[in-house]
Amino acid sequence: MIVLGIDTSGYVNAVGVVDGDRVLADDIFPAQTDSLEQIVANIDTTLKKVGLPLARIDGFGVGLGPGSWTGIRVGVTVGKILAFSSKKPVCGVPTLEALAYSARGEAPQVCSVIAVGVGDAVYAGLYSPERDGVKRLGDYYIGDIKGLSTLITKPAVVVGAEAKKYTPLLWPASGMALKAVATLPSGAAVASLAGIRLARGESDDALSLAPLYLKESTARVFVNRYKKEQG
Amino acid sequence: MLVLGIETSCDETAAALVADGRTVLSSAISTQLDLLKKYGGVVPEIAARRHTELIGYVIREALDTAARQLDNVEAVAVTSRPGLVGCLMVGVAAAKAISYVKDLPLIGVHHIEGHISANLLSHAGLPFPHVCLTVSGGHNMLLYVPAPGKYEVLGATLDDAAGEAFDKVAKFLGLDFPGGPVIDKLSRQGNPKAFKFPRPMIGTKSFDFSFSGLKTAVVNRFKDRLARGEALPLADIAASFQEAVVDVLVAKTVRAATEKGVAVVSVTGGVSANSRLRQRFSEACKKQGIRVFFPALSLCTDNAAMIAAAGYARMVQGERSDLRLNVFPNAPLGGRA
Repeated sequence: MIVLGIDTSGYVNAVGVVDGDRVLADDIFPAQTDSLEQIVANIDTTLKKVGLPLARIDGFGVGLGPGSWTGIRVGVTVGKILAFSSKKPVCGVPTLEALAYSARGEAPQVCSVIAVGVGDAVYAGLYSPERDGVKRLGDYYIGDIKGLSTLITKPAVVVGAEAKKYTPLLWPASGMALKAVATLPSGAAVASLAGIRLARGESDDALSLAPLYLKESTARVFVNRYKKEQG
Repeated sequence: MLVLGIETSCDETAAALVADGRTVLSSAISTQLDLLKKYGGVVPEIAARRHTELIGYVIREALDTAARQLDNVEAVAVTSRPGLVGCLMVGVAAAKAISYVKDLPLIGVHHIEGHISANLLSHAGLPFPHVCLTVSGGHNMLLYVPAPGKYEVLGATLDDAAGEAFDKVAKFLGLDFPGGPVIDKLSRQGNPKAFKFPRPMIGTKSFDFSFSGLKTAVVNRFKDRLARGEALPLADIAASFQEAVVDVLVAKTVRAATEKGVAVVSVTGGVSANSRLRQRFSEACKKQGIRVFFPALSLCTDNAAMIAAAGYARMVQGERSDLRLNVFPNAPLGGRA
């Protein structure tokens, strides 16, 4: 089964193609703050490189985030409409899970970390490697990087674009052996995880597919707080 | 040519199928009125999130209502400028994906060019050249239109758009959002001559507008009484305010038509749904021997059919956007995609 995976959550456009276990492409294109301008052209570039027309793609994988809010809206919209227009299945893949999948062979626990963009706040997820993909342990974590250290219970690998910056902050408190793997979101990892679900006959409803923001917009936070105060 | 239009520049998620830039086969619109009421206006991040959730459903509804498949669509037109940047991106991302999968020509459309084109859908024989007044909560322009897709901007608002003034006065009076339809309805029970409000710039030579001072005049006149908790003559205030706005819009537009030597006026945009504006335009134009055209009410506010019509007119002239089409939150009218 040939799966195209995209992830635009991390200020790059990641595009990958897998055929079962085989990675045919795992490309990173620069996007800065604007995934929109290039993403469809990037997909075309990758498909041409591997010599596959879009019609040969059996299904799509989309990185849902968390990450750049604008970025994940672009990726999810492109992914859902690619699937809808071509009548092919799509699977949404949390970007934290795709990051963990990229580093699953490295340690008994994998801690995926994505910067929120405010101080040392992070979005994070703790995963254990499984025979088929990775399994998330507990809830997603959103907060200061140091608070994450209490959740790590086994030697772990910290994975994410800024893993090398975060690992020294986690290390003393966790008391565990930690290793850092600095990696950007991977289109191939997203495609692989989508492919695993597609092979089981699972997929997501394309039209209702939504980004995984993990944070409410600031306006909604204020309104909710105001309502609480007003009782 | 069957064109799929997509519009997400502000708070409406919309998709439409239009044949040959003239015949509306479907026009699906999902408004965010619930969110507008909750937050008292458009919150860009919340609107962009809603667009992402709805865009696929709205496109499917446009296809289903028209009883067409994506395979029948021959081109995609999408609002790419101006608007809320995060909102515009959702529509453009969807349009690009369809264009890529179905190998269809793509065109980015200026939102106001869409509004100007709304009358092409309601009046197949809309003559050119004409003078177009296009007014909503976000824009307020007077244009000379020699041919489809060609414009000369005669004037625009220097501050608030007329629709924005309606919203702000309605908010001050404690009325619902959006203010346009509420004030229109309330005014029918009011006396338009009850209060004398200014007609800003009505006598100036320029075709520019200014409605911020008029709004302030209404506020200043009644804020003390409102603060004392007095009941205000709402219908009379609404009717008098509306009359002032309408006076300015009609006078400037009729004068522009006379100066440009054209006998056709096209009025579009959300404010063109206002019943008093339509009545007064019809009376004034009749006196001057000018024909005036208004779009169907469903085509006054934001919709994707007008985007498909505007996109078609551009494509007929050979224009195309490529897959690198981007969005521009601020963009002058008349530029290329």
